[in-house]
Amino acid sequence: MLRPEKMTRVVVVGAIDSLGVTIERLYELGVLHLIDFTTQDDDFKIGQPLPRASAASQKLLKLRAMIRSLEIDEHKPSERLQVREIEDKLDQALVTMDLNISGKVESKQKIQALIREKDAEIRALEPFASFGLSVGDFKEYGNVAVFVGICRTDPEGTILQKAGDHELFKAENPGGFAVALFARMESQVDVGRILADHGFQEVKLPDVDGKIDEIVARNRREIKEVEGDLRRIEAELDDSRRHFADLIVASEEHLAIEVKKAETPLHIATSAHSFVMDGWMPSARAKEIHDGLDRTCCGLAFVEALPEEKEDEPPVKLRNPYIMKPFEFFLSLVSTPKYKEVDPTFMLFITFPLFFGFMIGDLGFGAGLFLLGLTLRLKFKESPDLSRLGSIILAGGLVASIFGLFVFAEAFGVPFHPPAEVHDEYSWESVANIPIHPVLDKMHDIKELLAISILAGWLHLTVGFSLGFINHFGHNSKHAFAKVAWLLILFGMFAEMMLIAGNAAWTSEFVNSTVLAPLPDITTAIAGITVSIPAVVFILVGVVALPFTEGAMALSEVVGLFTNLVSYTRLAALAVGKGAMALAFNSMLLPLVFDSGNVAFIVLGALALFVTQMFFVFFLGALSAGIQAIRLNYVEFFLKFFEGGGTDFEPLSYERKHSIAETRKQEA
Amino acid sequence: MDIGTGLALLGAGVAIGVAGLGTGVAQGQVGAAAVGATAENPKMFGKGMILMVLPETIVILGFVVAFLLMNAE
Repeated sequence: MLRPEKMTRVVVVGAIDSLGVTIERLYELGVLHLIDFTTQDDDFKIGQPLPRASAASQKLLKLRAMIRSLEIDEHKPSERLQVREIEDKLDQALVTMDLNISGKVESKQKIQALIREKDAEIRALEPFASFGLSVGDFKEYGNVAVFVGICRTDPEGTILQKAGDHELFKAENPGGFAVALFARMESQVDVGRILADHGFQEVKLPDVDGKIDEIVARNRREIKEVEGDLRRIEAELDDSRRHFADLIVASEEHLAIEVKKAETPLHIATSAHSFVMDGWMPSARAKEIHDGLDRTCCGLAFVEALPEEKEDEPPVKLRNPYIMKPFEFFLSLVSTPKYKEVDPTFMLFITFPLFFGFMIGDLGFGAGLFLLGLTLRLKFKESPDLSRLGSIILAGGLVASIFGLFVFAEAFGVPFHPPAEVHDEYSWESVANIPIHPVLDKMHDIKELLAISILAGWLHLTVGFSLGFINHFGHNSKHAFAKVAWLLILFGMFAEMMLIAGNAAWTSEFVNSTVLAPLPDITTAIAGITVSIPAVVFILVGVVALPFTEGAMALSEVVGLFTNLVSYTRLAALAVGKGAMALAFNSMLLPLVFDSGNVAFIVLGALALFVTQMFFVFFLGALSAGIQAIRLNYVEFFLKFFEGGGTDFEPLSYERKHSIAETRKQEA
Repeated sequence: MDIGTGLALLGAGVAIGVAGLGTGVAQGQVGAAAVGATAENPKMFGKGMILMVLPETIVILGFVVAFLLMNAE
């Protein structure tokens, strides 16, 4: 939490003969984040791939071609294959597959191409089949212009009137009028214009000989014949697919891993007799890798920890408790924090569900979101992003239900009890008497909601600036103290807002009598607005300190900080907006369901209620609440301290889904 | 309700309405570019979102003015 996993800079050195074994062992341990070797000199050069790389790549290429032609990219083998089995079978299988599959795939492609070609001919010629002409008849003549194509409207009448000497063939088709028009060369331009008026589109006839209707019939016959062949080949390919798919997919995975391992030397330094790998690993596992290499490489490779240097940028492996892990998803959408930065996942874990829950604040919708999140989490274990998103929605839904139950006392936009202001509003009282009364009413306590939002904003931003102070403290004290200046300005603004709010809301009253109580009560009025002198002093001290710490440009952002604080009123706005939307649909449709007495109206009303509630309130509400909750974190909060741009920790490792490597026999 | 209050309320409406329009125009343009950038590189989502919400300052200030007007009796 707060800090990523501690890393140690290490070099792994050894005799060149043990390179293969060392790489193998490192991949199994999965702890070394390699730093690419780039600066070659006379002694050290970039390594050569291990000898087995080229053979493995060739096989891999063949397998991938096979996967494409058999269309089994999505295939999931029913069971995992042993690596030993793959290695035993693969060479033999590749020969068999070459014989069985490659030829057939080629024939299949040829047949498909032939069918496409014949089909295109049919489509071009068919509209003109009824003319009883040959394709040759449409060739260019010396004195006769030929127009072949499709008109959108019937051109016959106009042509009779205006085209002069001509011969017209016409057939009506679903797509328009197929037209073949022979006219004198002199009137070519005029005729072209007449046809254009009728939406004429020229059709380029294929280069074949013979009568059109005969060609069409012949093509149809031919297609039918080769389709039989195609079906046979498909069936045979299906057979091969059934037979080989598991092996192909598992082998592809295995060989991809082999190639990855064999090409690792391309990232490390080698000399004639030795190799040097430079990298990072979690400090906690340093001993494990030390012992592991010692044992397997028979003392031919060693790992050595280096002292940390100031300009080092270690890779970042976030370290958060299990329940906070899903919230790292939000961080992955922005940037990985730097190694020395605070990891804000824990704040996302706290504030996102709170903000989201406050905006939704409804037992029914909250429970729905909880279930939606749970489903996503359980159903999409394979997709880490969806599963993490599911967990986040689940947490948000849970907090929304709690808010809905204890604070707003409503479910599906209907309150447990009618509000004091509107006695005849629909409520759950007609179903059950729930002994919980609302602390806040979305429709009537708007000022209270606004004050709570501002308070939440002040707390959130204060944490943001404090984290910024922690990030800069120790290596840039000027920037660290700028955060203190910002905190002062923020406090001044907050105090002034609370003063203006005064006793209009319970929250502001509470804040004024506790947090702000020590401030001397000196005020003056400017343009009819009460201004607290201590608040102004706080702001001024901060503003004066800014140019000396962060630079004069920072002054332009003072107004920005004010808008940041007011920006949190979106929490209230969304809560009220969503509540109002649900109320509007309910008050329009509930009377239809309960008071109309007409079965058709009841059914229609219930259906409309379901659709509007589901779509407008549930999905759109959840979507906008989610976006606003994360945006308050990304924009208002993160910009106060977060820089990002760290490197993800990507150790040498692999993941097997379709194959199993035998566990290495542990040496005694 | 006297005419002064009416005018103040009208002013509040204009303040937030026109500020909202301004923000909308600006966000439309930034948003279109941000979506394009995100489509090319999903890592741009965070940056795009931050740029996208910058014009919101306008409507927030509009809201503040409207709020002050509504409470200035």
